[in-house]
Amino acid sequence: MSNNSVLNTSAITVTNLNKTVVTQEGELTILNGINIEVKQGDSIAILGPSGSGKSTLLGLLAALDTPTSGEIVLDGVALSGLNEEQKAALRKQKVSFIFQSFMLVDTLTALENVMLPAELAGVTDAKQKARAMLERVGLSHRLNHLPKQLSGGEQQRVAIARAFICEPKVLFADEPTGNLDSVNGDKIADMLFALNQESDTTLVLVTHDLHLAQRCARQLVMESGHLSEPAAEATQRESASDPQLVEAN
Amino acid sequence: MEWRIAWRLFKRELAQGQLVLIVLAITLAVLSVTGLARVSERLQVAINGEAANFIAADRIIDSPVELDPKVLTIADDIGLAHVTNMQFNSMVYSGDKFQLVTVKAVGDGYPLKGDIELSTGITQALPQAGQAWYENRLGGLLNYPKSIELGNSELSLTEEISRLPEGGFNPFASSPVLLIHLNDVAATGIIQPGSRVTYLYQFTGDAQQLVEFEQQAKPLLNNSQRWVDVQSGDSPIASAVQRAERFLLLASLLGIALACAAIGIAAQRYCQRHYDVVAMLKTFGASGKQIRVLFGLHLSLVTILGIALGLIGGLLLDLGITAFLPPEIAAYSPPYLRPVLLGVSTGLISAFMFSAYPLMRLLAIPPLRVLQRQLEGLQLGMWLHLLLSLAAMALLGYLYSRSLALTMTVVLAVMLLGVLLSLLGFVMIRLGHGIGMRTTNPLQLALAGLRRRARQNAVQLVGFSSALVLLLTILALRQDLLNEWQKQLPENAPNYFLVNIAPEDSKPLDDFLTLNHIKATDIYPVVRGRLTHINDEELISRRQSEDGEEGRVGISRELNLTYRDTLPPNNKLLEGQFNQTDDEVSVESGVAERLELKLGDKLTYRIDNQDLSVTVASIRQVQWETLQPNFYMIFTPKALEPFAYTSMASFHLNDQLLAADGSTLTADQVVLQLIRQFPTVSIIDVGAMVGQLRQIIEQVSLSLSLVLALVLLASALVLIAQTEAGMATRQRELAVLRTFGASGWLLRASTGFEFALLGAIAGLLAVIVAEFALYMLKTQVFELVVYMHWPWWGIAPVAGAAIVSTLGVWRCRQLLNKSCSDMLKAG
Repeated sequence: MSNNSVLNTSAITVTNLNKTVVTQEGELTILNGINIEVKQGDSIAILGPSGSGKSTLLGLLAALDTPTSGEIVLDGVALSGLNEEQKAALRKQKVSFIFQSFMLVDTLTALENVMLPAELAGVTDAKQKARAMLERVGLSHRLNHLPKQLSGGEQQRVAIARAFICEPKVLFADEPTGNLDSVNGDKIADMLFALNQESDTTLVLVTHDLHLAQRCARQLVMESGHLSEPAAEATQRESASDPQLVEAN
Repeated sequence: MEWRIAWRLFKRELAQGQLVLIVLAITLAVLSVTGLARVSERLQVAINGEAANFIAADRIIDSPVELDPKVLTIADDIGLAHVTNMQFNSMVYSGDKFQLVTVKAVGDGYPLKGDIELSTGITQALPQAGQAWYENRLGGLLNYPKSIELGNSELSLTEEISRLPEGGFNPFASSPVLLIHLNDVAATGIIQPGSRVTYLYQFTGDAQQLVEFEQQAKPLLNNSQRWVDVQSGDSPIASAVQRAERFLLLASLLGIALACAAIGIAAQRYCQRHYDVVAMLKTFGASGKQIRVLFGLHLSLVTILGIALGLIGGLLLDLGITAFLPPEIAAYSPPYLRPVLLGVSTGLISAFMFSAYPLMRLLAIPPLRVLQRQLEGLQLGMWLHLLLSLAAMALLGYLYSRSLALTMTVVLAVMLLGVLLSLLGFVMIRLGHGIGMRTTNPLQLALAGLRRRARQNAVQLVGFSSALVLLLTILALRQDLLNEWQKQLPENAPNYFLVNIAPEDSKPLDDFLTLNHIKATDIYPVVRGRLTHINDEELISRRQSEDGEEGRVGISRELNLTYRDTLPPNNKLLEGQFNQTDDEVSVESGVAERLELKLGDKLTYRIDNQDLSVTVASIRQVQWETLQPNFYMIFTPKALEPFAYTSMASFHLNDQLLAADGSTLTADQVVLQLIRQFPTVSIIDVGAMVGQLRQIIEQVSLSLSLVLALVLLASALVLIAQTEAGMATRQRELAVLRTFGASGWLLRASTGFEFALLGAIAGLLAVIVAEFALYMLKTQVFELVVYMHWPWWGIAPVAGAAIVSTLGVWRCRQLLNKSCSDMLKAG
């Protein structure tokens, strides 16, 4: 992996990233010449309508998918030279996730769900750490509950605890409040940003919710495979013309 | 660390009921193999044991000379019990009467199996020195004397024998039996060098000892010494026992195939359920190795639990069944080792081979699935799965049955089912293009659903139809075997044979039988003759061949030849045509094989010092188990007319019958009258033997029913597993329709219709495949008559529709009791 290391203070550097897929109607360009640089500890929101390529970009940044061309450097490691096993090892060391649909293992308790990534990473005191994390998200009384016994907000708090247990360098969040009502959504957002600041994690957040996006240091807008970084006011204006974004507000 | 996660997942999933189906499927596979293997081994041992009573031992060495003492030393070393008997023919005298008898001189320990039945009851004792026990008809022939002379000895007749354990079945053993102690033989002075005598060495022990003995002793025997076990020769028991054993094997094999199908379906569900977990674990950086280890361990835990439960269940099943078996069968208890080993290997092989493909797909789930839920990764195609499944089934089948014909039949039937299903799936997919969702009436909704889900439905049909195929096959075979046995041994099967009927006695005997309302079967004339030449080549005896003479070996004894115009009942022509001209002969297939005869061969016989040459015109198969008079050689009446003959016949005698004068007579009284009136006619009572044969068949029938019950259970599990899997694919659609206000009735009815249609198609496919499988089994394995089961072509689709739709509606009702949001989440 040392060959792939690049001297860089950036958490993520994306250079001329393209992603195309072959469909029955022919080749479809999903991402077109994307360039981003995200500093360590920074937080960015990627906004955009459905189908604009936000989730595809997230998948590529998090080393879950392979680009058609272009380069991604994640915490100093160029992804293009890595095979699937090396990517998995990289994710284990540096990356974590929060999903819209929580993605908890529904047969395991809240505590066991949080322990899971720590155990995979070989952390010896996974249980104590998981207990502490759940305490931090206010679920110390729900340790042995199964996901189906928890509310949506509580499930997402479990997911947040799980995301932070391995102290990731970069946290990717895919619509983290998308399945929640506004009150719960706000609580989750507060918790996410608080933990993010405390642990100096870089946050990459994909969302429709402009309100949530504006809590990030930077907002990027994805449209038809192109990524732009308008000024904050422009973002607001653009979002006003996107009914989904307005709705999310 | 992985084992901890695997254990945790296993524990939680088990507690929440998510592993029920796969554990149950493995349990059932192991249970049916262990249970059936144990039950069928118990039955086999019991059947063999009961049948062994017919030869009064487990093994006999039949020798014209005294046996090499080494053989007996081997038997002693192995720990076999053995006894030496002698058998020879001699005249006995009583006053001015004399009679040819078969003297059986038996040593201490006789009989090793079975009992001697005397007129006074069953005994374990033997004749004392100076005593002889006599067969009842000898008493009649000699007018019940107190003593008789045998060679130089005078023996007192102390007991009348009703039946000896090795009753054997040879209607031509016409001389009555006299039983004496072996120690009394020398005093008679009958046995001189060169005397014709048969030494019968009887052995008994457990299966392993017998195998060991056979391996060591058999090579020491020469060609004149015969190795006899219950299944050798044309014993009427042998073929019934062999068929029953094959049936039990087949049933267990089908049980395994069914359980494997259940495991296959359950394994697929098991893996699908874990797709998201794997995607999530990979997202959090789990390495390929970690995931392989984790799920390998998880599946191992599931398998171990299934095997453990299956073993317990199998042994309980054996105990349960044993409780219902007659005590004399329940008393047999073969070792547990083989059933347990078979059960464990079945669990391991089926769980891992049937899960291999779903597991490969599971492990290949890409992490990106966490963002794109439709991703499933690896698509190697169903062929790999089918290949693995077939290989597993064939391996298990062969391991269990050790019969290539049986295994291949099952595999071929499965392949035919596969081809039919692929064709059907293809047609359904073609029909399915452009079909939307119509929600006006349940039937339309069902049809639309059926076509839209063509691919999944084709997979589901595998489960439904394989369950039905196996059920139909086993049902039909069981019925056919029972009918066949019933046909061979009808209520009025002959229980007496009459032999040595002189031509002048034929008419009076016929009158006697008519007078007593006894209906005899066909009367067969018997001419004694020796086969001397085949294609003009002189035949030599086995002994001559052993002494180094060159030449073709024939049959060393005189044969009973008969003549008829037509093929006897229960005989089947295998080759050629039944005698058309007077110089033709029809030969029994076993003898034809032994003498290497073919159609057109010239056979020369020596009869009454004259030669008779004929050509082989046909080869017949004879059903020895029918207890009818059977012959190796059948001529035309004209060919044997010049020779002296006696006749034989058989008839059935009830215990009680009405005499000519209106009084009631017992069978014994009638037989006695017959003996007195026709002293030269020999009458042979085979009633006891028929009774025993019938008892064996009843025991086997019982086992067939038990096996059927198990197969039913396995079928039910497969049907339930398949319905469960089918409902999983429908859950989301049901949830959406429900959310949009579709009534419970509409959804239940449409699901019911859809499953009914699937069930009907499965029923139809099942009949086609079952007919094919039955054809293969009957022609290749069971030697039964092939016929089509026409009523099934109507019943199976209807029954399939009824069963499958009932299960579908039942599951649908359970689902509809949930709230819409629960259903959507779960879907």
